[in-house]
Amino acid sequence: MSDATRQVSTVDTGVEDRKTTIRLLIGLPLLCAVILGGWSIWRQTADLDDIEARQLAWGTILELTRQHIVLTLITTAVVLVTAIPAGILLTRGSFRRYSGFVTGFANAGQAAPVIGLIVLLAIWLGFNTRTAVLSLAIYGFLPVLRNTIVGLQQVDQTLVEAARGMGMSAVDVLRRVELPLAMPVIMAGVRTALVLVVGAAAFATFINAGGLGALITTGINLFRYSILVSGAVIIAVVALLVDWAGRVLEVLLTPKGTT
Amino acid sequence: MVDFIADKWQDILFRSYQHVSLVVQSVLLATIIAIALAVLVTQIPRLRSAANMISAIGLTIPSLALLGLLVPLVGIGTLPPVIAVTFYATLPILRNAVVGLSGVSPTLLESAKGMGMGSLTRFRRVQLPMAWPVIMAGLRVSTQMSMGVAAIAAYVLGPGLGTYIFTGLAQIGGANALNYALVGTFGVVILALLLDAVLLLVSRLTTSKGIRV
Repeated sequence: MSDATRQVSTVDTGVEDRKTTIRLLIGLPLLCAVILGGWSIWRQTADLDDIEARQLAWGTILELTRQHIVLTLITTAVVLVTAIPAGILLTRGSFRRYSGFVTGFANAGQAAPVIGLIVLLAIWLGFNTRTAVLSLAIYGFLPVLRNTIVGLQQVDQTLVEAARGMGMSAVDVLRRVELPLAMPVIMAGVRTALVLVVGAAAFATFINAGGLGALITTGINLFRYSILVSGAVIIAVVALLVDWAGRVLEVLLTPKGTT
Repeated sequence: MVDFIADKWQDILFRSYQHVSLVVQSVLLATIIAIALAVLVTQIPRLRSAANMISAIGLTIPSLALLGLLVPLVGIGTLPPVIAVTFYATLPILRNAVVGLSGVSPTLLESAKGMGMGSLTRFRRVQLPMAWPVIMAGLRVSTQMSMGVAAIAAYVLGPGLGTYIFTGLAQIGGANALNYALVGTFGVVILALLLDAVLLLVSRLTTSKGIRV
């Protein structure tokens, strides 16, 4: 097996090719605008009964969207400040020998259903936003950790040695050589985590932690397809926009010359 | 906990079987769809970027949202989970199949042509075996992901172990809530690991001898 195929078969880091990235950067907002526009026209013209009108009031939807995005952002922040340092630590010195075990565990942990994690933690810690953030953070932690480790491991060791030879300290090498070179892979992990978290945040409503999932559960419980489909459409649009924001960040934070 | 499992052993086994059966059938369907699409993409290179975009956008759509869209179309029960799991499972396999199939060196294909192979034989005997390890890697990613999606599908009365997780949620405060949630969650994880081990073995056995590592 050639090196190129082995790269793909061990881990797909989620780094997209340039052409796809550029098309998505332009295409995603347009797609979302079309979907949202279509939905708004339906919302304005549809003949809604009392329950539907209350659930689909603009104020309600904006508030649920705000909760959903806040939940996503807080969780992502928690993931970033824990997973990236952990990944850096696991590629330093004597911790390095655990990195294979940790990436293996991270891959296996991906199979744990997020809804199970949320329910288990809710039984233990109660129904609240903190529980939701914690369980979503555990879910988003793995891809960022894995990509940080893989990204740092991919850095050409001769470059690290050259930097050391130039008299840089270990911290300088990390900050000015290793992290910038690992940035495309790390950022792809961050974007993956963002997308996982924004999708899983739809389950927060099951433990009274808010978010747009409420429209789905209400739609199913009250058997109102209009609410159900509106919820699904808005969650999908929010997820696509979060993915887009992640891509913009990825392009902005990736140093020139590494792609 | 031990009493709970002993008491429900039959039911747990049956639901585990349903869960694996849903995932295996959907992933098989997804593999066929993905390879067919990947062949199309390698024939028409302009579609490659479109395929990447579709798989990126598709994987972004949250599973609960997709189920929400499917219920009005096909009702509740087994059908929405099958469609949802197949949909998500197709994307990583497609991504890897495109990389694998287009990664086959053109000189190899040309020598196969020179040996008198038709395009179908070339695909079956050269291109597909060469790309197989990469396709299998995508299939393993898909299967792991599908185990989780199938658990969520229990929300729309789909089959499998997800039912236990939602029963646990509904009974929170009750005596058996924790047992249900634990069996549901760890059951899925254990099945996913077992299935992955089986797939690893299948991948080793079905990889052509010449390119085994």
